[in-house]
Amino acid sequence: MTVRIRIPAPLRSVTDGQAELTAHSDNVGQLLGELEARFPQIGPRLRDEDGALRRFVNLYVNGEDVRFLRGLDTDLKAGDEVSIIPAVAGG
Amino acid sequence: MDRYSRQTIFPEIGPDGQRRLLGSRVTLVGCGALGTVLANVLVRAGVGTLRIVDRDYVELSNLQRQILFDEDDARDGLPKATAAATKLARINSEILLEPIVEDFGPDNAERLVHDADVVLDGTDNFEARYVVNDVCVKLGRPWVYAAAIGSYGVVMPIVPGETPCLRCVFPQPPGAGAVDTCDTAGVLGPVPGVIANLAATEAIKLLVGAREHLALGLLWLDAWYNTIQRTPITAPVVDCPTCQQRTFEFLDGAGGRRATTLCGRDAVQVRPTRPGELALDALAERLSAVGTVRSNPHLLRLTVEGHDLTIFRDGRAIVKGTGDPTVARSLYARYVGT
Repeated sequence: MTVRIRIPAPLRSVTDGQAELTAHSDNVGQLLGELEARFPQIGPRLRDEDGALRRFVNLYVNGEDVRFLRGLDTDLKAGDEVSIIPAVAGG
Repeated sequence: MDRYSRQTIFPEIGPDGQRRLLGSRVTLVGCGALGTVLANVLVRAGVGTLRIVDRDYVELSNLQRQILFDEDDARDGLPKATAAATKLARINSEILLEPIVEDFGPDNAERLVHDADVVLDGTDNFEARYVVNDVCVKLGRPWVYAAAIGSYGVVMPIVPGETPCLRCVFPQPPGAGAVDTCDTAGVLGPVPGVIANLAATEAIKLLVGAREHLALGLLWLDAWYNTIQRTPITAPVVDCPTCQQRTFEFLDGAGGRRATTLCGRDAVQVRPTRPGELALDALAERLSAVGTVRSNPHLLRLTVEGHDLTIFRDGRAIVKGTGDPTVARSLYARYVGT
């Protein structure tokens, strides 16, 4: 499935500056795997040592938090938009 | 009330709303890029009392985005809370302003928040934000989370007992080095301005009693890549440790770290082991033997060993020229004491 992923400013230093990417994944876990294969440094920014999503990073599929869907097993369909929303500190 | 005519004829505020604003009290935590814009809006809008808490002093690199400060403030190295209050008093002399030059943390949070109708987040670090969340949930004070970095920013109004709290949305703050800071990613001047103006709008809704119009959920935008979205997050998380189980681990964290690296700066803040008022005059005299000392009524600055130590009345120091807490602590011990 072709989905779009928005990379927020605080993570662009590990995606070669890219703000939006496309990927071909059937679920959120696969999508993270695909991102990690392309940008190895993004892995530790999104997941902890056990592979779970970090507790200061939220993933939204079409505006819904995957934590309240099926987590990393949340299905993706063509055209879905995935947003990565990390907690930010600046001010 | 002529000063406020443009917002009293706005029917959603009206004369009643204006009276509520004038009778209200706000605590602003942090007076940098977000905080100066928040303070500017609220003082012009006629918030009765504004308490401004900030631990830092004005520098030239602040002027790109921190709208209440000017070159004189930077040259004089004034505390931000003091410089902001001076400017704000010229904007609206009817407002009671309380500048507080302190580091907001577990030991003073309840004192600074207990009488506020609304608390505003102008901080630049997670440590302070999670203390704000704890104290506001504990005391039942509405607050507005706001943050900005690069071209990206977020805003979320939080009403304890009604909406999700910060920990419902971000269950844990990142550890040191886990996310970019304005140190590593920079910040586009207008972005904190946009974010703070949105946060101030939420504050005005809260203060005039228009809770039904709050922009509930997490609003985020990227001003360079042209995205703005609001993710509605309507219900608190059932097992949220803060707003459901009412445990306040950030507020109860005994004193926190003694030395903290500051966002966007080659600097570390060191707190005294025992809080207390420093006699700045006597200290200035003593330190003039070891390095260059400049002082104003609020702080003194010692230049020594390639570092600048800015020492405040409350015993804190900001050590510039290092990002290493150990180096900063040892300079503090050598020149200020333990």
